[in-house]
Amino acid sequence: MNKTEVKNKMELKVHSLGRVEGDLDVKVVIEDGVVVDAWTEATMFRGFELILKGKDPQAGLIVTPRICGICGGSHLTKSVYALDTAWGTEVPPNATLIRNIAQAVETLQSVPRWFYALFAIGLTHQNYASSPLYEEVVRRWAPFTGEHYEIGVMLSAKPVEIYAIFGGQWPHSSFMVPGGVVSAPTLSDVTRSIAILEYFRENWLEKYMLGCSVERWLENKTWADIMAWLEEKREHRDSDLGLFIRYSMEIGLDKYGAGPGRYLAAGSFFHPQKYRFPTIEGRNAALISRSGVYDGKDYHDFDQARIREDHTYSFYRGGGAFHPFEGVTEPLDPMEAKKEGKYTFAKAPRYDIPGIGETPLEVGPLARQVIAGRTGAEDWQDYDPLFLNVINEIGPSTMVRVLARLHEEVKYYLRVKEWLRQIDLNEKFYVKPNELPEGRGFGATEAARGALADWISIKDGKIENYQVITPTAWNIGPRDRHGQRGPIETAMIGTPVKNPEDPVELAHIAQGYDSCLVCTVHAYDAKTHKELAKYEVTNMMAGI
Amino acid sequence: MTVIIGCGNLLRSDDGVGPMLIRRLWELGVPPGVRLADGGTAGMDVAFQIGDAKELILVDACQSGAAPGTVFELPGEEVETPPLENVNLHNFRWDHAIAMGRWLLKSRFPKKVTVFLIEAENLSPGFGLSSAVEEAKERLAQELLRRVGGKEIEA
Repeated sequence: MNKTEVKNKMELKVHSLGRVEGDLDVKVVIEDGVVVDAWTEATMFRGFELILKGKDPQAGLIVTPRICGICGGSHLTKSVYALDTAWGTEVPPNATLIRNIAQAVETLQSVPRWFYALFAIGLTHQNYASSPLYEEVVRRWAPFTGEHYEIGVMLSAKPVEIYAIFGGQWPHSSFMVPGGVVSAPTLSDVTRSIAILEYFRENWLEKYMLGCSVERWLENKTWADIMAWLEEKREHRDSDLGLFIRYSMEIGLDKYGAGPGRYLAAGSFFHPQKYRFPTIEGRNAALISRSGVYDGKDYHDFDQARIREDHTYSFYRGGGAFHPFEGVTEPLDPMEAKKEGKYTFAKAPRYDIPGIGETPLEVGPLARQVIAGRTGAEDWQDYDPLFLNVINEIGPSTMVRVLARLHEEVKYYLRVKEWLRQIDLNEKFYVKPNELPEGRGFGATEAARGALADWISIKDGKIENYQVITPTAWNIGPRDRHGQRGPIETAMIGTPVKNPEDPVELAHIAQGYDSCLVCTVHAYDAKTHKELAKYEVTNMMAGI
Repeated sequence: MTVIIGCGNLLRSDDGVGPMLIRRLWELGVPPGVRLADGGTAGMDVAFQIGDAKELILVDACQSGAAPGTVFELPGEEVETPPLENVNLHNFRWDHAIAMGRWLLKSRFPKKVTVFLIEAENLSPGFGLSSAVEEAKERLAQELLRRVGGKEIEA
């Protein structure tokens, strides 16, 4: 990166620390206290696609859940659907229900752990000591000593106990297989799961997070409803959600980190009867949490064929943008590639929106909730106008992104409860598939932090090509051949940094996206190159 | 109850020795009262997996510069846990898991803790152990079975 020798201009480097997973540097240029440009640089080559080439088609079920220490269940979910579509399997309704449950409880786990053990820690930063709410925030959310920190971290382990009941273990289970799941639950497994879920609701979700019943929270359909909810009762204001909203508006989290304002959801959770014979083409019509693209004005149907990975600025041979089935992963030596202007190992996922062209899109909870606001849903699908209204009323921001994540916790709780009740213990959980020697498959889901998808090509009974696009790639990807920045690069721009020696605002943005990387911000004075600050952006994610 | 937790990433060659050792112990069979857990790269969940165990045995790969396959045994009382405030939940290691476990479980934290570290030769992306580490895995599996009172089986 060129050091810019302009007065009042400095460069911050968000440097990485990861051990077994991808690392990230974010370079930021600050002028007169405001971020004016940003570059995200993934410094490690992620070679899962190369590991999978030539292996047994089912290797993806073993390898991809190990890509990540926290989204293993999401990796398993999309990799099994990639094989289901490639082999043309039959998936019995019970198996779909259990896959839905497993995917959802992993996210139920992720939300409190991410909030307390990652995001809220930043809110206790001394920058905010003058806020009237600061003392209360520290009392609740300070790491290890905060009263609610401990409760939230402890309770976050509960939902994945349900995963372990059906999947044997969490994380890193491979219990979903083409044609169903390898589990034979009993009635007591189901009742135990319901008991765990209710414990989670009573002892954290309603008691600490919401300060009201899940039903009362879900009555909120607009930003005005949320404001009225805050005023309605002391318990609402004093809940962790209520405190988060009030504090965010006080310290300005609602004023920056907007991001691109364009969103993509791959969708998740299938109707048990409508995806018995999974195909790529039939996927959208079977999704409970719908897929879609929102261009800032209009909605578009999601079509995996419109996804491209652009590697013009990535450390791979050549340039251009390719569909994952045509994806190439030929890594270059970064030192050499930098001479061509390339700056990261991440590719830049783009979606070719009809009439607009290749577009960088944000993925994650806010994206999903904006897509949920599209009208025309079936009665069994999720229709929820809240976040479309929120971004129209107050615009997207770091606060809104966090709020969307917390909101989903409530919805997922209700879904899991419903799916547990629908399991028919007398029916099948698995139908043995024909292992076809040739085929192409696409599987996708929504990990807690966004759209996650696999493309597999099978030839002669072996994997010919395997491509994974992670939510982190969508969000932290670099510029593309059209010069458009990636979503987090865009989100950084315009952020006011109060203290360049300790730019906690940038940490809030990165943590709000929950991209799965560890970053350290190094702040260098543009003139003297003297290191001004070192700031760690920790994240518990491991590698998606 | 004794819990044996193997940590590491199966996709980084010798780093996978922890989870592979757990699988080996499962194949060999452990006596009642011993629980096996594949910690993988789970970070904080390694601490949750301690559960109600009275004794904790952790296995991980390490890179200290010793000969590949060297097995180190660190008795619990020698294990210095890092200050929790500096724990980075992304770069979570066995020592962090112990620190986190002590904080989470308080007085229920196991009285006895032993950490076994196997010196890795190759940590590049890929499957499978180098021969020195494979052999160390077998050796340690037998040793652990002997200690927890299981039957020894010819490798």
